[in-house]
Amino acid sequence: MTFVQKYLAWGAGILALLVALIFAMPGGKVRGFDAAGFGNIPILEGGRVKPLDSVARNSLLIIHSRQGFRYEGRTIGPDEWILDVMFRPQVADQQPIFVIDDPDIIGLIGAKQTKNRNYFSFADLSSHLEEIQKQAQTAQPIAPQKRTRFQSAIVNLFDRAFLYYKLRNTLQLAGSPGLGWELQSIGDAEASARHQDLTQLAHFRILPPLPGANPDAWKSIGEGLQAMAAGQGTHPALVPLARLNAAYVANDAAGFNQALADMNGVVSTLKPGALSHATNEVIFNRAQPFFVGLSIYFVAFLVLCVSWIYKPELLQPTAYSLLFAGAIVHTLGLAARIILQGRPPVTNLYSSAVFVGWGAVILGLIVERMYRKGFGTAVAAAAGFASLIVAQNLGTEGDTMEMMRAVLDSNFWLATHVVTITIGYSGTFLAGAIAIGYAIRKHIATKVDVETDKALVDMAYGIICFALFFSFVGTVLGGIWADQSWGRFWGWDPKENGALMIVLWNAIILHARWAGYVRERGTMVMAIFGNIITALSWFGVNMLGVGLHSYGFMDQAFWALTGFCLSQLVFMAICYAPARFWEQKPHTRA
Amino acid sequence: MIKTLASRIWTFLKSFQLTIVLLALLMCLVVLCTLAQVEMGTQGAVNAYMRSFFVKKQFAALPFAIPVFPGGGLVGLLLTLNLIAKTLDIQRTWQKAGMWLVHAGLVILFAGEFVAGMMQVDTNMSIEVGQTVNYVQSYKNMELAVIDVTDPAWDEVYSVPDTLLSRGGAIPIPGTPITLNVKRYFPNSELSNLAPGMPPSMATAGVGPGIAIVERPTVTNDNELNTGSVFVEPVAGGRSYGTWLASMAIGAPQSFTHEGRTYSLSMRLLRQYLPYSFTLKQFRHDVYPGTQIPKNFSSLVQVVNPSQKESREVLIYMNQPLRYEGKTFYQASFGKNDTLSVLSVVENPGWLLPYVSCVLVSLGLLVHFAIVLRRSLKRRQDKKEA
Repeated sequence: MTFVQKYLAWGAGILALLVALIFAMPGGKVRGFDAAGFGNIPILEGGRVKPLDSVARNSLLIIHSRQGFRYEGRTIGPDEWILDVMFRPQVADQQPIFVIDDPDIIGLIGAKQTKNRNYFSFADLSSHLEEIQKQAQTAQPIAPQKRTRFQSAIVNLFDRAFLYYKLRNTLQLAGSPGLGWELQSIGDAEASARHQDLTQLAHFRILPPLPGANPDAWKSIGEGLQAMAAGQGTHPALVPLARLNAAYVANDAAGFNQALADMNGVVSTLKPGALSHATNEVIFNRAQPFFVGLSIYFVAFLVLCVSWIYKPELLQPTAYSLLFAGAIVHTLGLAARIILQGRPPVTNLYSSAVFVGWGAVILGLIVERMYRKGFGTAVAAAAGFASLIVAQNLGTEGDTMEMMRAVLDSNFWLATHVVTITIGYSGTFLAGAIAIGYAIRKHIATKVDVETDKALVDMAYGIICFALFFSFVGTVLGGIWADQSWGRFWGWDPKENGALMIVLWNAIILHARWAGYVRERGTMVMAIFGNIITALSWFGVNMLGVGLHSYGFMDQAFWALTGFCLSQLVFMAICYAPARFWEQKPHTRA
Repeated sequence: MIKTLASRIWTFLKSFQLTIVLLALLMCLVVLCTLAQVEMGTQGAVNAYMRSFFVKKQFAALPFAIPVFPGGGLVGLLLTLNLIAKTLDIQRTWQKAGMWLVHAGLVILFAGEFVAGMMQVDTNMSIEVGQTVNYVQSYKNMELAVIDVTDPAWDEVYSVPDTLLSRGGAIPIPGTPITLNVKRYFPNSELSNLAPGMPPSMATAGVGPGIAIVERPTVTNDNELNTGSVFVEPVAGGRSYGTWLASMAIGAPQSFTHEGRTYSLSMRLLRQYLPYSFTLKQFRHDVYPGTQIPKNFSSLVQVVNPSQKESREVLIYMNQPLRYEGKTFYQASFGKNDTLSVLSVVENPGWLLPYVSCVLVSLGLLVHFAIVLRRSLKRRQDKKEA
């Protein structure tokens, strides 16, 4: 590799990091309003203090499946959207953000196929809300696994519409003259009914706890007004919030920004630290490290594929440096989550996917350093990309930093059992990915390259040993945790069985190899089957809906999982394809 | 002849084929057991597939179930033998010390699961705040309790477990003049009010005559409970006190009086009385602020053990059980608006074995890796020198 090539290669990596940095930069003002600053305001929702920006993004993800949308030729970001929903519902109600794919539901709401196909605004839905609610209420008592497609879809639509409705009525009652008017007419005859509504519909609590109160006692606007009506004084945050509301409605950007500064002042006196914590989370939200990471992995993978036919001496190191840059972004994202949440990396299915990908990428980087054949890069980039895609799809159900249920609330076990077992998943997947690469290469490569084949098998073998170690230790640690919290070491619960399957399968591969029953190709076929076992024990057992571990239930992923397993069977067949497809002579058992 | 047979068995037991076949069988069992849990509940599936020597299947044409697949017990036993044979067979050199430790650890792990399968007893204890409880009760098994309630300060409890009830016949109650004639036992049943026109009940006394009963297939699902019911005729001093219906569905005990002593009859979950008692002083159910997500459950319990002259407070909470007198008490559930705490109680004499195994296997793997690392470093060194 020449000097220039080396710098070109590393330049690509640095460029990727710069792009990642650009994402983290704050956006400009919206029509002069500091919407990003508004998104910085800390609130309490889902049991933890987070910035409004997180609520906006997660709500938009749930309702719209994306964190932003285009409307009237402009891209509307989450902060601007939530401002409109809360302060100018008449504007937000017209924006077509509800995605409805189910034809029966489109029929139910009597919608004509608009030019935006499946996108509907809250105004479109509003005349059918009663019907939607009625249908959803009949479907809700049915267990999620047993609902029909229509029932699942109507419950889903109702939940989304209700979330939107709650957001609309959190800071002011939609259709009322606003929070300032509420403050003035605190003693009205109907005021207490309105306060009641605001309390019940509040999606989050924005009034920080007053000095001397319980540090978790954040209040919603409704509760603040109730306290005020009861003569307990005006919460200091109510006035700047009312001014924010009025200024936004009156299109007075300067007044809005001034009120925002006052609001921040109130928050930092009442709850020091909350504002900076929220700011950090907003930077994390904006940077979207896992989305950026998966894009970089994708580019790295493409570059590597090109390198096999064009300028390998330049493109292979470039792919490696891109992978390295992706790994840095991925690692920073993971670290940021750990710091923000104050938890070990894996706390739910979403974060397990992020971590599995991370583990596979790090292992792949090490393997590439050892063998320098480009395979480590290819496999790591593909595995990192795939697992982050899975994570993106798992992360559409709301806050991915949700609070841990009582039994899981143990940082020690989350850090030991959960992390080791997830590293075991990473290893098994990486070995499977290498085996797939081996199979494809065998069919495509024009010349026999025994050395590369052997290197690939060695890689896979080493990684299987590694995976067996981690999955065994992780399983036993899980048993010990179970003994500590449920009173038995082993209960044959589906999730436990899943972990055991991975241990057993890796043990079978190794024993079959040690005994000489399988050679190169056999080991590789078995390694691909390891992908199926791991996917099933990771996601499949959650779909059974039984057992103590089924806290991560999901139904939509069933077909994705089936597809994945089928694809792996195809790869196994390719790997095991008849000898005439193979350049080299078939193995004899000599 | 004997020698060759023995050596053949030995070769068979220590073979890799056996290891792989057994591991594969175990995998199949694990898959089957996991899938069966949807229908049978965890406990039912585990008993059918894992804690049995053969998986049996009932065919309609045959009067008895026939084994169709080796069960977890058999596979586990063979795997243990295979492991022991392998462990003994591994050359006793320092080079193999790590593998030795790993396999010895695995043997202990299997032994632990055997002990758990054979001897583990799962029960629970429900206490309301302020209540004192000195027994644990079964999750599924039932008993017919005959309680001498004559003395208001002291209940003398005699109980007949469901296994005995299902055999039927006459059951003398030791310590009392009473003999119970079991007329009919229903492992699971459904009770309803006897409507006019329905055939009369077998019962002649108590609330029974007004109740119609239908037999139901027993349920094994974890969150379903069988409604056991029984028709019994207490006989004492040659006199019958009528036929009574006792059922899990009938809450209030029914009583009769014999020679000045009053006995009550009731079906309930099988109880085991303890030589100590727990009083629930406080139950906490904390949630994260502004949500219903549980953050912590804890029970503050006063443990009173007269035989040890012990009386102390214990806080049982998530991931922090109380191990006491061979039983372990875990915070499991709650109810009645957070005034009822349910502790699950496990008695497993082998609970330490997995811990021992874990230490051995981890140590073994570390030793093995150290040896392999040393070997490969040495090889590299030799290469350099050559």
